[in-house]
Amino acid sequence: MTDARQLQGDKLSEAQAIERAKLGDAEAFQFLYGLHRRRVYSLCLRMTANTAEAEDLTQEAFLQLFRKIATFRGESAFSTWLHRMAVNVVLMQLRKKSLPVVPLDETQENEEEAPKKELGAQDPMLSGSIDRLRLQRAVDALPPGYRRIFVLHDVEGYEHNEIAAMVGCSIGNSKSQLHKARMKLRESLKTSRAEKAAKPY
Amino acid sequence: MNCAEFQEVLPEVFEGDRTAEQESHLQSCSVCSSLVAELDLIANEARQLQEVAEPNPRVWASIEIALRQEGIIHEPQMRPTLLPAVPRRWSMNWLAPVAAAAVIAAGVVVYQRGSAPPSSTPAGPAVAQVVPNKLPITPLSVNDEDRQLLDALASRSPAAQKQYASNLQNVNAYIRDAEESAQADPNDEEAQQIVMDAYEQRAAVYEMALDRSMP
Repeated sequence: MTDARQLQGDKLSEAQAIERAKLGDAEAFQFLYGLHRRRVYSLCLRMTANTAEAEDLTQEAFLQLFRKIATFRGESAFSTWLHRMAVNVVLMQLRKKSLPVVPLDETQENEEEAPKKELGAQDPMLSGSIDRLRLQRAVDALPPGYRRIFVLHDVEGYEHNEIAAMVGCSIGNSKSQLHKARMKLRESLKTSRAEKAAKPY
Repeated sequence: MNCAEFQEVLPEVFEGDRTAEQESHLQSCSVCSSLVAELDLIANEARQLQEVAEPNPRVWASIEIALRQEGIIHEPQMRPTLLPAVPRRWSMNWLAPVAAAAVIAAGVVVYQRGSAPPSSTPAGPAVAQVVPNKLPITPLSVNDEDRQLLDALASRSPAAQKQYASNLQNVNAYIRDAEESAQADPNDEEAQQIVMDAYEQRAAVYEMALDRSMP
């Protein structure tokens, strides 16, 4: 993204870039893309766990944004506007694929997917930090319903009431799904740690 | 309160106030306190994933093409497009042989540039073996190889040459960034994969430029 870096070097602010993009300036579009591409793509990748889909959704999110940029009045932060749009694009896509996002109240868990309860047993603890790659893989391996709520809440920082509105579920269900996602992640992180420890080298 | 009762209300416990009974159980039960600590750790570490991945450079190319086709980008003169217009879903079929060739080429290029003696390469994942610990940083501008390609392109399609030159610079910059990440942590498999992907991008640009330079 060399062009974007050059523009940054020329002290083009995001606000200036937005105004220039409204006039159809190609470099301004590229500058805005450069500023936000990683965050949007990472969101799409985490939500779908699929590179090709994530690229398509990133493309779609930015296209929607740029088509509507003339209507951006600056009442909210541009990044907030963009990320909300990206989330909506992803959720819409997931609905089209008929993956049931709602109703979560009636989510039927099979025994393999549901995190195990841990009563009275103490297994090896996770240490004070978690390797990013292991965490990433564990998130990618989550069942789609859990993954969506986990990414929106713990990765992207949305509140339960916002997630409930976006996904179309109750706040209680958002909390419940998040908890199950974390429990599931804890299981897989411990499993991967145990497997790693068992390797001969 | 026992463990089963405590874990039943864990989602609520995480969200806010704990009752005295819950707090008391948490203080006295090592199983539940370690469970809460680990779930807290996962929640805190999740922010690491917020901005970890770099999209393929072709994503921007496709966006730019779409914006031009829709007239959202206004320019007095249409610049030649860098990449084939693929409106929503890229067709990956044509990429398969290119990707295979690119992976091999990337391995060869990286190996040739590496200064570490081959005998010092430790056993480990295949990708990790491809990237030596000390890689020279690829320069930002186009190199001699690129120049030859651009010269060939100029004779056939002068209008596209400038655009391809710009794009090769971008791809080279991407490769440099990827190599820096791989050097910073030679054990980071993801960074090494990104290096491979970056070389794949370069090979794809070459493939398309060669197509345009052919009679």
